[in-house]
Amino acid sequence: MPYLGGEETVRELRRALSNPNVQSDPLRYRNTILKVIRTMSQGVDVSGLFSEMVKACATVDVVQKKLVYVFLCSYATLNPELSLLVINSLRKDCQDPNPMVRSLALRNMTNLRLPSLVEYVEQPLTAGLRDRAACVRRVAVLGWAKLHNLQPSSEIDAVVVNELYSLLRDPDPVVMVNCLRALEEILKEEGGVAINKPITHHLLNRLKECDIWGQCEVLRVLQRYRPQSEDELFDILSLLDSFLVSPHPPVMAATLSLFLSVSSSLPAVSLAALERVSGPLLAACGSGSREMRFAAVCHIQLLLRSVPGLLGVHYKRFFCGYAEPAYIKERKMQVLVELVNDENVAMILDELKGYCTDVNTDTAQAAISAIAVVQTMRDLVWVCPQCSDTVCLALEGCEETLQDIQGRQALLWLLGVYGERISSAPYTLEVLIDGVRSEASLGIKMELLTATMRLFLCRPAETQDMLGRLLHYCIEETTDMCMRDQALLYYRLLHCGIEETRKVLQGRRSDPSLGVLIGRPTKPVSQWARCFNTLEPLSQGAVEAESASRGSPEHMTYNPKPNADLSDTLSCSHIQEIHSGES
Amino acid sequence: MNHSQGFLKDIQISCLVVGWLLSNTASIILSFRVWGGQSMTDSAPSWFFYSAEMIHSLFLINHLGDIFLEKHWKSVISRSVCDYFFEAREKAVDPENVPPVLQTPHHYLISIYRGKLFFLSVIQTEVPPLFVIEFLHRVADTFQDYFGECSESVISDNLVIVYELLEEMLDNGFPLATESNVLKEMIRPPNILRSVVNTLTGGSNVGETLPQGQLSNIPWRRAGVKYANNEAYFDVTEEIDAIVDKSGTTVSAEIQGVIEACVKLSGMPDLTMSFMNPRLLDDVSFHPCVRFRRWESERVLSFIPPDGNFTLMTYHISSQNLVAIPVYVKQSINFFEAGSCGRLDITIGPKQTMGKTVEDLKVTIHMPKAVLNANLTATQGNYTYDCTTKMLVWDIGKLNPQKLPNLRGSLSMQTGVPNPEENPSLNIDLKIQQLAISGLKVSRLDMYGEKYKPFKGVKYVTKAGKFQVRT
Repeated sequence: MPYLGGEETVRELRRALSNPNVQSDPLRYRNTILKVIRTMSQGVDVSGLFSEMVKACATVDVVQKKLVYVFLCSYATLNPELSLLVINSLRKDCQDPNPMVRSLALRNMTNLRLPSLVEYVEQPLTAGLRDRAACVRRVAVLGWAKLHNLQPSSEIDAVVVNELYSLLRDPDPVVMVNCLRALEEILKEEGGVAINKPITHHLLNRLKECDIWGQCEVLRVLQRYRPQSEDELFDILSLLDSFLVSPHPPVMAATLSLFLSVSSSLPAVSLAALERVSGPLLAACGSGSREMRFAAVCHIQLLLRSVPGLLGVHYKRFFCGYAEPAYIKERKMQVLVELVNDENVAMILDELKGYCTDVNTDTAQAAISAIAVVQTMRDLVWVCPQCSDTVCLALEGCEETLQDIQGRQALLWLLGVYGERISSAPYTLEVLIDGVRSEASLGIKMELLTATMRLFLCRPAETQDMLGRLLHYCIEETTDMCMRDQALLYYRLLHCGIEETRKVLQGRRSDPSLGVLIGRPTKPVSQWARCFNTLEPLSQGAVEAESASRGSPEHMTYNPKPNADLSDTLSCSHIQEIHSGES
Repeated sequence: MNHSQGFLKDIQISCLVVGWLLSNTASIILSFRVWGGQSMTDSAPSWFFYSAEMIHSLFLINHLGDIFLEKHWKSVISRSVCDYFFEAREKAVDPENVPPVLQTPHHYLISIYRGKLFFLSVIQTEVPPLFVIEFLHRVADTFQDYFGECSESVISDNLVIVYELLEEMLDNGFPLATESNVLKEMIRPPNILRSVVNTLTGGSNVGETLPQGQLSNIPWRRAGVKYANNEAYFDVTEEIDAIVDKSGTTVSAEIQGVIEACVKLSGMPDLTMSFMNPRLLDDVSFHPCVRFRRWESERVLSFIPPDGNFTLMTYHISSQNLVAIPVYVKQSINFFEAGSCGRLDITIGPKQTMGKTVEDLKVTIHMPKAVLNANLTATQGNYTYDCTTKMLVWDIGKLNPQKLPNLRGSLSMQTGVPNPEENPSLNIDLKIQQLAISGLKVSRLDMYGEKYKPFKGVKYVTKAGKFQVRT
């Protein structure tokens, strides 16, 4: 039982560990130590056994050694004095003929992370750098980085740094990569390992020998390099071409990052690289791992900012599976919206319609999906009016699932603009108008007012009464100035006659002959290139910022953008202009 | 700008210190140039860099939310860091829905969910997410490889090996040895016989020798391999991912293919595999041993194989007209307003099976919450309905084209609850032996570099991947 009976267990384990009968039987001894580790991993504090465990370290059994090291490394910082006792047996192991034992000892020596032990560790580490066995050198190289982390303020030993630089030429690729990693940490203050032409070319030539983790590391470090001539730049790019289409997503992403950084002055090259990488990225979107799929889709969203049409033909790859987690579905729908074009608009709408009713009854999921769907449809209608019929059909019946402000605003906008085609529109609005007093969101109230006005223009008989009620509420009861002003404006407009009102409310629209407009203007690659292959595109905040900037085409009050003039807006920030324009 | 100037100075210094850096002999070895032609414009903008720190700690958490293993590669981080994760876990309802990346005030938490376990890594600085996710999966793959499955009980039973593995796989937070055959030479996988022997003799499961693989010229193959029987077997497995809509039209379909190899050949064999129809394959990824240039020019796979089991290549066929859908489904699932019941009627028949038999056919339906029970009759196979998970599973077995299997009957629903708006979708599992549904065929396998005659074999199998029929 974890957490309970901790003290009792520790006492028992201590008794067993110090029992000479147990100690003389290697098997029982090891099993007791295993019990200690088990207890430790259950969250019980077994630090009290430190001195007993230190004794257990002196053994020829490698497995027992490893187990004791696991324990010691977890608790060493609590018992710095007692840890001194371990160092002797560790140093002895560093002389062992078996390279596995040597590397194990060296690694754990540095893992103890005790500043007081540094003086004892330096000598074996120096010897480790020149060891015959590559596995010992690998550990020794990283050991220096750990040592430096222990006392970051201390002077960097130039001899060690030199030795590490020269080990970049080690025949073992892992030693080479570990040198890079160690130098990056040790020389952090100076900006990391020096990346000049000879080092760069050496690393590039050996890139193939490294495992994928090493390749990522090298590619990341090389981002700092600036080729000296155009010829050199293209030589580098050509060499990296096969890594750009690597089957391993991390390598592919790291290569693209490097491409974008070295060719930042050549937009055409960047765009060509994006095109080349789209295949492997799409493959990653179909990966067996859902986390990988998620990360890939998020990065595709970045790419689409600059090349919106890039994956248009592959839109089906972004259709959601029934059992896919909500966080992927959400991103996939965002991508789908970006990929809409004349040919696939019907298919995509159909698919989105499916999600509208197909969603699980799980409220969270339903809400997220429905918001995304309706927002999507709103964007679609706004962008390409010819598909509005399909949307109207899909719209009926999804008002119940919406919980979120943006989604409801979007729905209201649709109801207002396409009210004549949605038979249930007045009833939906009526329910909302009856409950307007308890509505908290100003945005929704404003949207409701505009929608009711619009609906009144096409279906006066059904809407007249409720519009009257709503206007009365807005003008007489509400305290919000914005709302009152808008209601008064509408009221006076109506006085001017129905034709005048219509002219104002149904003024400009996007032109159906335009075909597909891509919502946002394309952005230069450099705007997002630095956050490619980082956590930024995956974070929730990025989505919210993104969708907010794409918010309602009508109410862009928070973030007015240049394309706001496309909409026939009547939101409070624009009242003045329209008013003066009409009067 | 100041920073970059300081940086240039550093280069100067280190060049002086390190002799070889001054030599101008280093240059890029290129076989040919793919990129070139465009001309440079203005100077490069400034660029941000992230520090090199990687995975700080790893927590293994079961689906109930208990941490049952933790490992720290840098300093020890308290378990309380996982509280942010548990909070997200609560919010997500289903464990699958927990976002893989969470940000806490001082750390990033990147997790994967595999086999009902969360592998949660704690990271202190900005990292490439794909890298970490891939690595976590590699850890899970390694456990799977060592213990046959990746579950809490198996990990707790093999705690020692797990700690040993984690210790070897990362050092100071950096991935170190992740290749299965390299690891296996250092840490032997458990097996029943050996654990019995070990208990009797007190022997250990640590390799006595230095891993050989790291010393051979070819990183993925160890030197001096010897077998009494030389054999090379290849499994071509294709999975169909498809969405079929209500009317039976295919919404999307693609094939994920993989060629797994089990090669036990002595010495340094050099193999060449050719296909009858290599043009089928456009989206491929290979094991690093495959010579990519030869694939590009001749469309053959030429490689010196690793010893033992490995994945030779994976491919992806996405053009829909190449993907055959092996079965069709006729279904109707209705929920009635009155009487709080529903009806279900499903028939499955063969569609494009290329004359092969469809086996292990299984239909899984995730019913809406309101469905309390199912009272059905199956003409073939058995069905089960789990009231807690709402999963209806119909295990059919072999598909007989003469007598199509049918499942029909009534569903009892919770009263007083509005009818579910959506119809659940059907997930189909199936298997077709001796067939790669894309039509891919290996035409020959040749061996060079060794004198003996190996046994060779290729097996094909087609399975349903994410195969879903909407209702």
